[in-house]
Amino acid sequence: MIADSVRTIWCRELQRDDIAVDDDFFALGGQSVIMARIQGAFIDELNVEVPIDQMFLNPTVASISAYIESLDTVSR
Amino acid sequence: MILQGKRVALPSVPVVHKQFEAHAAATPDAVAVFCAGQRVTYAELDARANRFAHFLATRGHGRGARVGLCLDYSIDLLVAILGTLKAGAAYVPLDPSYPAARLTLLLGQMPDLALIVASPATAGLVESTAVEVIDLEQLSDRLAQLPATAPDVVVTGDDVCYAVFTSGSTGTPKVTAVRHEGWFNLLNWLKVEYGLHPGSNNLVVSAFGFDLSQRSLMAPLFCGATQNLMASRNFDAAMAYRMLAEHDVRVVHCASSTLYLLVDWETARGGDTLTRLDYVLFGGEPLKARRIADWARREGNTCTLLHQYGVAECTDVASSYDLAEYWSGEHDNPPVGKPAYNTDLHILDERMRGVVAGESGEICISGASVGAGYLNGTGPESERFTTIEVDGESLRLYRTGDRGYVTPAGDLVVVGRMDSQVKVRGMRIDPADVERALGRLAGVREAAVAITYADSGEAELIAFLVPDGNELTENDVRARLLGTLPRNMVPARFLNIPRIPLSPHGKVDRAALLDACRNEFADSGMSA
Repeated sequence: MIADSVRTIWCRELQRDDIAVDDDFFALGGQSVIMARIQGAFIDELNVEVPIDQMFLNPTVASISAYIESLDTVSR
Repeated sequence: MILQGKRVALPSVPVVHKQFEAHAAATPDAVAVFCAGQRVTYAELDARANRFAHFLATRGHGRGARVGLCLDYSIDLLVAILGTLKAGAAYVPLDPSYPAARLTLLLGQMPDLALIVASPATAGLVESTAVEVIDLEQLSDRLAQLPATAPDVVVTGDDVCYAVFTSGSTGTPKVTAVRHEGWFNLLNWLKVEYGLHPGSNNLVVSAFGFDLSQRSLMAPLFCGATQNLMASRNFDAAMAYRMLAEHDVRVVHCASSTLYLLVDWETARGGDTLTRLDYVLFGGEPLKARRIADWARREGNTCTLLHQYGVAECTDVASSYDLAEYWSGEHDNPPVGKPAYNTDLHILDERMRGVVAGESGEICISGASVGAGYLNGTGPESERFTTIEVDGESLRLYRTGDRGYVTPAGDLVVVGRMDSQVKVRGMRIDPADVERALGRLAGVREAAVAITYADSGEAELIAFLVPDGNELTENDVRARLLGTLPRNMVPARFLNIPRIPLSPHGKVDRAALLDACRNEFADSGMSA
């Protein structure tokens, strides 16, 4: 499940373990520096480059995971 | 103590767009801008900007007019900037990464905008204003009928070229205006002093609302080089890093925090793109030298790091320091160097007298870069533009509110603020501005904001809330604040307290607040 991997990355970079799949990144205290680190982690660990604008448009674990899954479908 | 910048003669009419026009005449086929897979040449950009200038002129918007620009980075943004300048007007960046509520508040400080240029993607952010909003794409047929030659408008060095918003000490944002002469002087200094040339291609990596972005937008066009823009509303490290390599970018202007991100990116994933740049010009907040030291001293790193200091009120940059000298020296606090051309830095005591060499005082700026002041009326901030007598001569001078001293080598070192303002990820913030936004939220009776420092050394805001009834939860307050403030202004932490501690003078006692905060975390054993 991509959502599990995404949530693990979010928990690590936001330094909290109580993140639900529909929690808003910014309401959790996320900011641009953390977002850039998550973007890097997606590249290194999930092998996918997610544009930062997409991360702003999809600010929850559920929605950004769905976005990443849609990329997989396209590339297949 | 006065640090004198080199005196360099400027043309009789120092207006920035004339320099661009000279390149358009000399090298019409050179690429001026690359964005989202599209290129425009100098001749094409010049013609499109001329048409927009004629459009403004037919509407009666010329010298003294102000044009709001709410656009994402795009070729149209540069058309609108250059066209506004050619019409003799000044542009006002309305950053589309801000929430609509913040833009509405900022627009309330700018009652006399001629019009706002927006795009289908940004128009919704400014629709609540009474000012007319236009879209260049919709106007393309009309613009095509207007002359491609420059309009006959007289612009002087004293006319305002742009105005940017800064946080104000009374909680009201201020609109600070920059003059053509100051901007020309800044760009000419960078070009001559650092040898920027038609190969000095640039990539913009900062948000449009920052004053440094105005310099980053114009510098390559001032030098005949190519400007590269990211088709991204928000800074995208992956895209930026790729574009640096693929587009032969030589120069980057950014806030210190953006430089850390780029350095971390290169360090984590390998590569040498950054080390092969000609220049990174950066600053805007205290430098954490450790964050970049290993990278900067890498074998074969040929990138010159220019550590700079300045304020929006005095055209963005006042001084510059080549960090190569820092690594070999003994300084603790990296200097910000020597003044820009035609700019003097004064270190003054509280009675506006020069301090002796080596002593610290308030950094004040005089010379070509001093701006036209605030456009939105008076206030305590306006008193910072003042005049002093030096050798019997009366000088216009701006008191920055920053404290600094001069090293024996003649370099300025900044040590902090005289007031409670702080830079968070490059944005100058007055806690009063944030307190006002918090006070407007339902359920908040009173609010105070103080400054703390994260383990990494970066400044953070911490909000103290007196709830009007039930305790407020951090995620709820943060989410609501994000609807009204730019992200850098939203505090990192929120705490409920029963009352705001006051000093004997009846002011908010920020030291007592921070003590309360330390105790809170010590007691609960929690981190925020």
